[in-house]
Amino acid sequence: MTPAGHGVQTSRGRLRRASVGAALLAAVSGSASSYTASLNPASPQTIYLQVGVGAFTNDYIYGGQPENNATVNSVSVTVAAAVLGNGTAQAMTTNSTATQSFWDGYTYCSVPAQLYIGGFFRTTGAATAAAQVTATVPAALTDATGDSIPFSKIQWTSSGNGDSGAEPFPAGTFVNGGVQTVGSMASNTWNESCWTFSYSNNTVPPVGTYTGVVLYTMSAP
Amino acid sequence: MSAAHRASAFFLALALTIFWASTAQAKSITIDDSGSEALEPSVTMRWKTAAPSRNPADNVMLGTTTIRVRINVMPWLRHSGRIYLALPLQQPGPIGLSWTTQGRLAPGRIVSGNRVLVYAGSITAPFMEDTLTFQFSVNGALMQRAVPVTYHFEMDED
Repeated sequence: MTPAGHGVQTSRGRLRRASVGAALLAAVSGSASSYTASLNPASPQTIYLQVGVGAFTNDYIYGGQPENNATVNSVSVTVAAAVLGNGTAQAMTTNSTATQSFWDGYTYCSVPAQLYIGGFFRTTGAATAAAQVTATVPAALTDATGDSIPFSKIQWTSSGNGDSGAEPFPAGTFVNGGVQTVGSMASNTWNESCWTFSYSNNTVPPVGTYTGVVLYTMSAP
Repeated sequence: MSAAHRASAFFLALALTIFWASTAQAKSITIDDSGSEALEPSVTMRWKTAAPSRNPADNVMLGTTTIRVRINVMPWLRHSGRIYLALPLQQPGPIGLSWTTQGRLAPGRIVSGNRVLVYAGSITAPFMEDTLTFQFSVNGALMQRAVPVTYHFEMDED
């Protein structure tokens, strides 16, 4: 027998040993198992938008849940005759009483100078594209006799007490009729801003009370 | 025997030797838990909080399920051993798991990639049974669809 042949015999000896080992292992692994659980994301998709006053059962961090609130708040200004049309923007005020964030109760906006806008967009699971918030704007504010002021005479700045960085609902100016995007909400985050409105006051419209209603809509993907 | 045969026999022996050595070093053995039974077909995952945080990193989904655990410890009958619940690293990412028991096994919590001791002592019966209530926690951003999560029990012999 050559050394090589001896080597083969040794290998066969190992092969038998290994085969026994493999058979034993097969017996163990054949009976062993792992348990698999299927995790299914099942939360309902939820959106909440608050412009002006809103309703929560409690602050979110204390387990609060969002509720419906049908209140329509207003933003207004009375322009004194002495300054009418002089080009100095006139600050508008709101009848909204919403100052605190329903997230934690923090006093985020100051009334009557600022209008709260905020909310959240909850997905069923995972992150998605942001929800969009739009404003549906009439062409003009009108009075009882049919006179009008273009909506584009009204603009707003955006901030929030203690805020830094970009606002989710940035500054803007109304369009004269149409739908415009006024902000977005990244999925699964709380978003809020405080808007301060002003009237351009660079024309002299007929005396009257001019009104218009803007509808804010949140659309989630 | 030709040179080719000798060479193949050598490599076969080498391969089997390595296989034997690697298995011989294994200390933990997965326990047969094919007798376990879930009381719910799947784990419903819901957001920990209905409203999200200002910080997206805080978003957690939780899901609870109850499992009647029945593990086959017959191979270790009349021996002492330590039984671990192991949650391997797996998709969709870091997974937290906590559980309560009826007392046969120990309650605990774990993060994927680890194992936790649930029993130490003598194996006095061929099967060990308990009812475990599991709570899984996962970053909701990772939960785009249903995901399978695997865990197992393993034995370290004393």
